[in-house]
Amino acid sequence: MLLQTQSITKEFGKLRAVNHVSLDINKGDIHAIIGPNGAGKTTYFNLITGYHPATSGKVLFKGKEITHQPAYTRCTLGITRSFQITSIYPKFTVYESVLMALLSHRKVTLKFFSSANKFFKEKVWNILEDVELANQADTLGDSISHGDKKRLELAITLGTEPELLLLDEPTCGMSSDETESTMALIQKLSAERGITILFTEHDMSVVFGIAKRISVLHQGTLIADGSPQAVRASEEVQKVYLGGTA
Amino acid sequence: MMQRSEVGVNNSAVKRGWWLILLIIAFLIAPFVISKFYLTILCEALVMSLFAISFNLLFGYMGQLSFGQAAFYGLGGYVVAMLVTKLQFNFWLSLAAGTGMAGLVGLIVGYFCVRLRGIYFSILTLAFGQLIFVIIFKWHKFTGGDDGIQGVFPPEYLRSIEAYYYLIFFVCAISAFILWRIVNSPFGQTLKAMRENPERTEFLGIHIARYQLIAFVIAAAFAGLAGAVWVPFYRSVAPSYLTWIKSGEPVMAAILGGPSTFFGPVLGMFIMTFVHSYILGFTHFWPVIMGTIILIIIFVLPGGILEFAKVKITERREKANIAKGQT
Repeated sequence: MLLQTQSITKEFGKLRAVNHVSLDINKGDIHAIIGPNGAGKTTYFNLITGYHPATSGKVLFKGKEITHQPAYTRCTLGITRSFQITSIYPKFTVYESVLMALLSHRKVTLKFFSSANKFFKEKVWNILEDVELANQADTLGDSISHGDKKRLELAITLGTEPELLLLDEPTCGMSSDETESTMALIQKLSAERGITILFTEHDMSVVFGIAKRISVLHQGTLIADGSPQAVRASEEVQKVYLGGTA
Repeated sequence: MMQRSEVGVNNSAVKRGWWLILLIIAFLIAPFVISKFYLTILCEALVMSLFAISFNLLFGYMGQLSFGQAAFYGLGGYVVAMLVTKLQFNFWLSLAAGTGMAGLVGLIVGYFCVRLRGIYFSILTLAFGQLIFVIIFKWHKFTGGDDGIQGVFPPEYLRSIEAYYYLIFFVCAISAFILWRIVNSPFGQTLKAMRENPERTEFLGIHIARYQLIAFVIAAAFAGLAGAVWVPFYRSVAPSYLTWIKSGEPVMAAILGGPSTFFGPVLGMFIMTFVHSYILGFTHFWPVIMGTIILIIIFVLPGGILEFAKVKITERREKANIAKGQT
């Protein structure tokens, strides 16, 4: 088990966005969190990554409690995320963006006198090739297409060499071709780099296509958790979410 | 496709270093070519340029507008003035002490300021700057109050304008070199990343406040060094060195020259200093003319002069490349 949340809860005033969610994420899994809009998926991500402090409950990473660790510490421990609204460096080149992640992760950001340029060239190119952005290495972040921006953010997260990667709607706004290639890429990363992936997604064909395990949130509460088949068969899930179409 | 060796962090200025060599030669022979009057102005322009570059580490690179940078400039000057006049302290050690004191106060002020972003950061730096100004202005017994401190002489061998000019030039050139290395280092890249997207950067494992504090201390120390090296040249220091009006000068210089470029603030400061001394020959309405120049720059060349030049040069080069590709 890589990550565990124990009865984690988040309240915003009177709204309980995440309600006592206890979940284990196994190492090497591709694990999807699904649920209708407002189910608490993104808030749940925010609790794991330290974007929001939890109201109660615990987060454990590799058996160690991280509930009260700030976001940057969790990242150095091996938890990296992407954002639902793509978060990249608009005025950095694609190359520089990925380099930044590596500089941070490999702890050279307190070097004051050596040129940033000479670090980790091989590794940056390696990541850019994996996400098929090598031919746009010198292009600014805000000058590439929407789908490429999503993949750039993925490349940036890879630069931190994560053990657990949280992807918040990684294919949101992509064409079906882009979606397909991104999902294939995520599968490849999981297989080749051994990264555990936790993702949210609206497109059910994507979810059932690649997830090894699916957890369903509804109004902040975990209502189902298991293999795609088990989740598909769950009556409660059909009722609240899949609308009986599964 | 781009050659891989060419891709990376943008530091094209190094590859075309010839203009820098020409510039250094020009500075070295300046005392033999220009009058004492203009040499004095050149000294001021150099010192103020160092002040502006230190400020721009925060503004242009880190993306935070400090409105209290003059406090550190003035502190550096006051420390030197007090050590040299009251304790007859060694000149060189006084320079170091002025720099160190500015850095130390920068650490304390920065500790509070880096917790804030945007306008709140600016206002807090302004408040701290004015606080330090008031302490120096009011504490007559210790600092000389509004009289300032006079008779701050450098050692005998540095009393001629020419000799002191070389000191200023070397201090500024070496400082600029160090700051240039810093902005192109992994640390500098981290500052730019915080400017571009603080949230993303934090989620790459960067403790934002810590890095901003380090940058704040570096900027304060170099501003202090600028003040420290200036005061013995001018032979005196006054509280006006620490006011918010003085803090506004590097802001204007950066906007004029281009905050996104390393040498933009230097160009801005040179224009401001020389235009100022020239215009004073005709009129006292200098701020009106400077204001007009700033307005024109903002509307005609947004991004500043050097940024505009950079964009034009890149455009021309791209056009040339396309033309080459067609033939």
